Amino acid sequence: MAEEREATYEIPSDLAQIPTVWRYEILRYFRSRRLLAALAVVGVILSVIYLLPPLYDSPYSGTDTEVSLHIEFDDLGSGIPEYVGSINRTAIDGGTLEVFVDGEPYPSLDGVNWVFSSREAGGLGFNAILFMPNVIMQNVSEVTATYEWYTPPESFASNFIGFVSILVIICVTAFAADSLVGEFQNKTGYLLFPNAVKRGTLFAGKFAASVTMGVVVVGLYYGVVAALSIVSARGVDDDYMLSFLLAIEYLIAATAIAYFISSLLKGTTGALVLTFFLLFMILPIVDGVSMFSGVKIEGSVTFAAGAISYILQDPYPADSMMDVGMGMEIHSFYPSPETAAIVMLLYAVIGCMLSMVLFKRKQLAG
Amino acid sequence: MIELEHLTKDFKEIKAVDDLTLEVPRSRTVGFLGPNGAGKTTTIKILTNLISSSSGRAVLNGVDVVTSPKRALANVGAVVETPEFYPYLTPMETLHYLGRLRGMSPNDITRRGKDVLDEVKMTEWKGTRIGKFSKGMKQRLAIAQALLHEPEILILDEPTSGLDPRGMVEVRETIKSLKKQDYTIFMSSHLLGEVQEICDSAALINRGKLLIYDTIEHLKTVTKVAKLEVTTDLDVPPQIMSAVNSMPNVRSAEAVNPRTFVVTFDGSPDQRADLLLAIQKQGLRVTGFSPVGLPLEMMYMELIKESR
Ligand SMILES: Nc1ncnc2c1ncn2[C@@H]1O[C@H](COP(=O)(O)OP(=O)(O)O)[C@@H](O)[C@H]1O
Ligand SMILES: [Mg+2]
Repeated sequence: MAEEREATYEIPSDLAQIPTVWRYEILRYFRSRRLLAALAVVGVILSVIYLLPPLYDSPYSGTDTEVSLHIEFDDLGSGIPEYVGSINRTAIDGGTLEVFVDGEPYPSLDGVNWVFSSREAGGLGFNAILFMPNVIMQNVSEVTATYEWYTPPESFASNFIGFVSILVIICVTAFAADSLVGEFQNKTGYLLFPNAVKRGTLFAGKFAASVTMGVVVVGLYYGVVAALSIVSARGVDDDYMLSFLLAIEYLIAATAIAYFISSLLKGTTGALVLTFFLLFMILPIVDGVSMFSGVKIEGSVTFAAGAISYILQDPYPADSMMDVGMGMEIHSFYPSPETAAIVMLLYAVIGCMLSMVLFKRKQLAG
Repeated sequence: MIELEHLTKDFKEIKAVDDLTLEVPRSRTVGFLGPNGAGKTTTIKILTNLISSSSGRAVLNGVDVVTSPKRALANVGAVVETPEFYPYLTPMETLHYLGRLRGMSPNDITRRGKDVLDEVKMTEWKGTRIGKFSKGMKQRLAIAQALLHEPEILILDEPTSGLDPRGMVEVRETIKSLKKQDYTIFMSSHLLGEVQEICDSAALINRGKLLIYDTIEHLKTVTKVAKLEVTTDLDVPPQIMSAVNSMPNVRSAEAVNPRTFVVTFDGSPDQRADLLLAIQKQGLRVTGFSPVGLPLEMMYMELIKESR
């Protein structure tokens, strides 16, 4: 300490300070048990959803051997009357299809005898064998087929993606809800705030870190589900990436809400609990009320978050109403993906702005 | 340089800081002295951008903290109350976090970090997660981080509070050694002795108001208030006690035991000689007549009493 004191250091720009804040916030989460807990939840949920159906006699794929086909005479619009044998599975591997007529193999012969027709219709696969009109078909007693079938990526992914909105809430509770309020309650603000760093910079670094942690966990979930889908459903749904993007948008919106709550409250526990219950129970109850009242509440962020899983469905579900008698109607509302994206964006932007203002004004008193 | 101009902070009913005007010149060590609740921490919190002021200005190196906190705090190291640290970081990692925010390179931080941790005798803990460090360890680490970027101004709020006697001595030694390095130091304390030992000047504050601000040297010479212990060879009758009480420049006279009383006296040495003569004129045979307590302490106590 005997050395001469030289000119002091140049304070970095606000923008250059953000990554520093971000890094040490990330380090905080990596060293806390919260990341482990979140990963454990991901592991358990993935295992349960993936392993339970096969355990309960509902595997993801298999081979149907010599299944009897119900043959109908139909005009499928091609002008040529055909015999149609429909297959009672959503997705089958056409390459493995073998047809037997009265126990004898009856090959396709490049479409001379029959062709395999597969298409998506109303969210359900439509798989059928179209038999060419010929003599044999008119006097057979039984037609059977053997084929490999599998779960289509859409329904495979739907099993898992329904959990994403809860996973987002878990992430936000673990990685965002007490990020701001902790500096006040744990008195670490006394160390951090007297530095030449703007509150807005601290806010940005912290917010980015909270979102990063959520993206890591949610991204891992989507990644593993995609891998499982390739293995068990022979591919990934075409809307899967859109679902992921909506999930990230929901994560950002929920983080902004958590920050807002956290900048209003004094204690970390209160902030954690209120954030969790608001997103997990209070808003969903509001959404539930709309089922009976018939009022579509598009401004609810949890309602908008429904789009994360609906987007997988082809076609996208439409609002409907069911009369259950005694003057009661039950409504099913679905957010349109565009509206959902806008609503979540608004929550993100407004939540951020409000909590930033509150955080800047908050005093480290007492 | 630190300038406070008519600084005021109201907490609902309480005026924690009341029209405080004060200037800490460059390279000086100024003690901010006052009893608990005087408004020291509140003043320092305003100076370090932890709370806002109700009115007035707080200026560091010519920059207003309230309007441009980032620029104002660029050349400042601060310890406010006993700060808490991030428990998941080690002291060295903490210094890296703060050092990066302050524009230091990782190499600078590692080099300076060793020096400052050494300075506060925390070297052996530099790689241990702070987690449950004792208050004393945290206090020393707090001083280390304040020194890290070699700031021009050091603002220390009760830097020895919460330390054991040995820790207090060590921290005082540290601050004294910093004085040799051209720091501008503004240090609060409720201990007069500490301020007297470390600082060049003392600013006395009570109930948010600045009572007196002068160099320690000057304060010592101007202090007239003293407590004088008077011992006699016989019991002092009550009527003589009341006579003493009404003598010129006597604030009070209180019996300690039948033959001893203490006079609180506010006068020059010449007037003190007159006091002794006057007491003897009352027929008392004085065997002892000597000042008790330190004059500055007396002044401190008196000023605080008066401002109540
Ligand atoms: N957040 C607060 N709310 C209300 N009163 C406060 C607050 N902080 C401090 N005070 C009051 O302001 C006065 C000054 O406190 P403080 O600055 O902490 O004194 P010191 O540091 O000199 O002991 C005290 O009366 C204290 O009770
Ligand atoms: Mg204090």
